[in-house]
Amino acid sequence: MNPFPMVWADIRALRWTALAIIVLVALAVAVGVAIGAQERALRRSSAAAAEDFDLLIGAPGSQTQLLMSAVYLQPDAVPLMDGRLLNTLAQDERVAGVAPIAFGDVSKGYVIVGTTAAFAGRWGRLAPSQGRLFQKEGEAVLGADVSYGLGDSIAPSHGILGATARPGVAHEDEAGHRHAGHDYVAVGRLPRLGSPWDRAILVPVESVWEIHGLANGHAADDGRIGLPFDGPRIPGVPALVVKPRSVAGAYALRAQYRQGGTMAFFPAEVLVTLYRALGDVRSVLVAASFLNALLILAAVLLLLIAVAGLRRRRYAILRALGAPRGYVLLVVWLGMAGLIGAGCVAGLLAGVVLTTALSGVIAGQTGLQLVFAIESQEIVFVAALLLVGSAITLVPALMSYRAPAVAGLRD
Amino acid sequence: MPAFTSLERQPAAAARALQLTGVRLDHRGGDGRPFRVLDLAGLAIPAGARVGLRGASGSGKTSLLHLVAGLIRPDAGSVSWGDMVVSDLSVGARDRWRQATLGFVFQDFHLIPELDVAANITLPLTFSRWRIGPAEHERAAMLAARMGLTDLRRKAAVLSRGEQQRVAIARAVLLQPALILADEPTASLDAAHAAEVGALLVEVATETGATLICASHDTALLARMDRRIELATSSVPPIESAA
Repeated sequence: MNPFPMVWADIRALRWTALAIIVLVALAVAVGVAIGAQERALRRSSAAAAEDFDLLIGAPGSQTQLLMSAVYLQPDAVPLMDGRLLNTLAQDERVAGVAPIAFGDVSKGYVIVGTTAAFAGRWGRLAPSQGRLFQKEGEAVLGADVSYGLGDSIAPSHGILGATARPGVAHEDEAGHRHAGHDYVAVGRLPRLGSPWDRAILVPVESVWEIHGLANGHAADDGRIGLPFDGPRIPGVPALVVKPRSVAGAYALRAQYRQGGTMAFFPAEVLVTLYRALGDVRSVLVAASFLNALLILAAVLLLLIAVAGLRRRRYAILRALGAPRGYVLLVVWLGMAGLIGAGCVAGLLAGVVLTTALSGVIAGQTGLQLVFAIESQEIVFVAALLLVGSAITLVPALMSYRAPAVAGLRD
Repeated sequence: MPAFTSLERQPAAAARALQLTGVRLDHRGGDGRPFRVLDLAGLAIPAGARVGLRGASGSGKTSLLHLVAGLIRPDAGSVSWGDMVVSDLSVGARDRWRQATLGFVFQDFHLIPELDVAANITLPLTFSRWRIGPAEHERAAMLAARMGLTDLRRKAAVLSRGEQQRVAIARAVLLQPALILADEPTASLDAAHAAEVGALLVEVATETGATLICASHDTALLARMDRRIELATSSVPPIESAA
């Protein structure tokens, strides 16, 4: 038998109602898919952004705050620690690399980060896509998304806590807090990292210190920058990023610098805590969206039962014309399960669109490029709904199957 | 007319004698009390006969057609088609028998409005087959032409009442049924259309050698039948009137 001509006729008879059913189911599915996929994308992208930050050391305070400031460049007032630690760590045999991360200034809404050329190149992992890394004070390397061009002059302003300047747009407050006469010149551009650092302007830490009226950390005024800092006074820094030589060394360093006026932690351990909370929220939201989808399916079921009731005569006619009961069952079931299936597929696609849109918003706010992927979790979510939908549409199908043909003919 | 030769070929199953024996059918009224709808001591319709069922509303004409079609089973007695006792068959077996043997024409046509003329005519084929072959399409087109329908792509919803009943007749005879049942086939049509549709119905039945049973009030249609059976409102046994 071929029930499809009749299935098609039934769907055509519903017209806008059929479309409404598809849209309702699609919305329910899309929300569930988007929540699941978004949370995972956020988790992955934020973990990827923390990749080069093996161990962070800072003045005692909030680990989360230091992580957000140093890795995700969310401006915050972070206490400084003694800059001499840079030299101590640079000489430590457990340390493969150490760099300061000094933030506080902005230009056109981009965060200016003072560090070493070695860390700007991520310990040799990154080569500039254009130009070169900074080699002396007053030079700057641009993140991939910074709208300055090479050779441009960059005027730094003192960042204002709580100012919500959009990257690329000079906030009106910037003009009033400009460090006059301390412009940088852009000499290079870094490749895309997919992290907030794509929106940062990287400069020698010495320049940051000097702009703020501090020493530059070097004894001789020979223009040399970077480690070691041999000056009589080494100004303070908000954060140090350390690349340990070994795992054992990493744990030993972490233990050692958790006392004596500093704190040390692996960004991963803070992220794990955040992800756990994020995961809990996600589980609640996914469960809620699944229940939400079930409610919509239940409402759709009621509608379909009413429709099947109205079509009693239509199906009775088919029986009188010689259609077996199985044919009627298939017509009703395929038509209704088909609508729910179409809703699930449309919902999956809408979920992709919704997630992409949300990722765009998140990237706009934080600079984190979310790598989106539909994975087994979303497929399972949609498959479960499809299964439930197919099962519940058996109810009106069986009602039509069991209805005696003659009762429908007498209506 | 050579174009219609295949109409005259032997039906898939040849018509057989229809025999109703001691048939009683009860219904429950609105007050829950049963009342007798049909009480037929015996009714024999020979193969290929054209029989009109006459009687006031409520005399059980439609119930008799449903009984013959195997849509309901009698409370007592039997309905047989040749040597097959249809009223003893299971639901599934009656479905199969109905598909192989029967064509049904209703008062209100009951086409599927969302399907076009061709799809309505070939609909009964989809009950048993996945694909409709070129031969069946050709037969459907030929039947439509026979019924005076030229545009096979028009949706049933936009057809006039007369056209709808012609499509319904083409649908009923597509599988060359040995038994055609028609329930007031002309009652929803004006006089001119009723005459045309009545004539077509009797013609296709005659051409295929099928037994035709027509429940109707339409005296013109009844006059086209070989035989007329009067069904009484009460449980009085039916009176036969010879043509």
